[in-house]
Amino acid sequence: MIYPYLILAEFLSLAVQQYIPALPFGARVLLLPVVFFYAALAVPPPGMLLLAFTGGFMWDAFIATQTVNGNLEISLGWSIVVYAALGAIMNGFRPLFQRGHGWEIHCLLSGPLLCIFVLSEYLMITFRRGGFIFPKLIWWRIGGEGLAAMIAAPIIFLVLHWLALSLGILAPREEREAAQDRM
Amino acid sequence: MRQINAIAVAIFLVVVLVLFAFTPRNTQIMQARFLGLIAPLLKNGSSIQKQVIGLREGMKKLTELDTENKQLRVELNELRAKDQTLQGLEAENNQLRRALQFRERSQFRLVPARIIARDASTWWSTINVDKGSNDGVEPDQPVLTEDGLVGKTTIVSANACTILLISDENCGIAATVEGTRERGVVRGTRTSTQATPDLTLGLLSKMANLKPGMKVFSSGLGGVFPTGVLIGEVKNFEVLPLEGQATVVPAVDLSTIEDVFIVTGGTK
Repeated sequence: MIYPYLILAEFLSLAVQQYIPALPFGARVLLLPVVFFYAALAVPPPGMLLLAFTGGFMWDAFIATQTVNGNLEISLGWSIVVYAALGAIMNGFRPLFQRGHGWEIHCLLSGPLLCIFVLSEYLMITFRRGGFIFPKLIWWRIGGEGLAAMIAAPIIFLVLHWLALSLGILAPREEREAAQDRM
Repeated sequence: MRQINAIAVAIFLVVVLVLFAFTPRNTQIMQARFLGLIAPLLKNGSSIQKQVIGLREGMKKLTELDTENKQLRVELNELRAKDQTLQGLEAENNQLRRALQFRERSQFRLVPARIIARDASTWWSTINVDKGSNDGVEPDQPVLTEDGLVGKTTIVSANACTILLISDENCGIAATVEGTRERGVVRGTRTSTQATPDLTLGLLSKMANLKPGMKVFSSGLGGVFPTGVLIGEVKNFEVLPLEGQATVVPAVDLSTIEDVFIVTGGTK
């Protein structure tokens, strides 16, 4: 059963990313979304939705949901929906993952998908706080985070994939390929 | 769509809709529980990080440590003496207030707290500290250091809490400027590249004409922050079409602070 292992990976990545210093322009290395993107690639759609729920919930509970003067700026659950939407895109490439092309897909898509996620957060803030402020810095920050995600993605992929195969919670490539052919 | 996928999507949507219906209070309870779950991990991470930094910076020589220790003892004694004097003055002040039928100020209790995690989000400025409701901390309590104001508590679990920093746009503080009758609201900026970004003091009169270096203090309006805590210094002042606005440099370097004090209790 791969799910407890991936939920634990999401939880640990949320804690670890707190200790990674900021990059230029205030960009951050966001590990939890990159771990989720791996999960979205590795599991079938219902599992992806489960992990979008756990990952998005952790993100909202710890980072995105702020109560200001008794009102919620972003509701608990909002990130879950965005995670699910982005996870669905990643999940569409699962047949390639089954055929052993995982890390390239994960690396190439993690950047743009993370950019969309961070931009959606900013748009939500802009909508709630008012003032349509879009200096160049915003784009540098979003782009920087996407780039950082693309650099971190292969490392995260290799670590998680190696662990999953070593612990026997992910079937070897041949079995996955055969299962894909049967579908 | 396969049947199992359709069922999964339906369950997913129902659960998310339930979460959307949470009231702010229930959301804070949920967040506090999650913070309680992750806090032990953050505390250990913080200790490991300090050890790594300590190793990187190298060990200080014993003689240096001895000298530093002696200096700190002297400073501690000085501060104790000052504290005694201030306690006396506070008692005297309360007596005089009573005499003038003013509302007596309560004795604030300062809870020292150590930062266990700095914010890792892109758009919010928060930190996490190792004190929570077990130490008397509640949401919306001011947080400061000896240099000035840091922010206010938001999510409080049993042994940890989240602090919204003054550099966040959501953390509005009613403020006054020394030597003037000007009142305004200090806010953080939405986007900044600096670790300790400048703040804006808005809603001032256009005639305010503030000069660089003037000190900005909390005014106590709004009920969260106590009166007279230093927020920062005016950097510049500009007249906008509807109001005067000043840029304020925070008194506390938010990127380097390690320990803070949470002000528990309040005015009686």
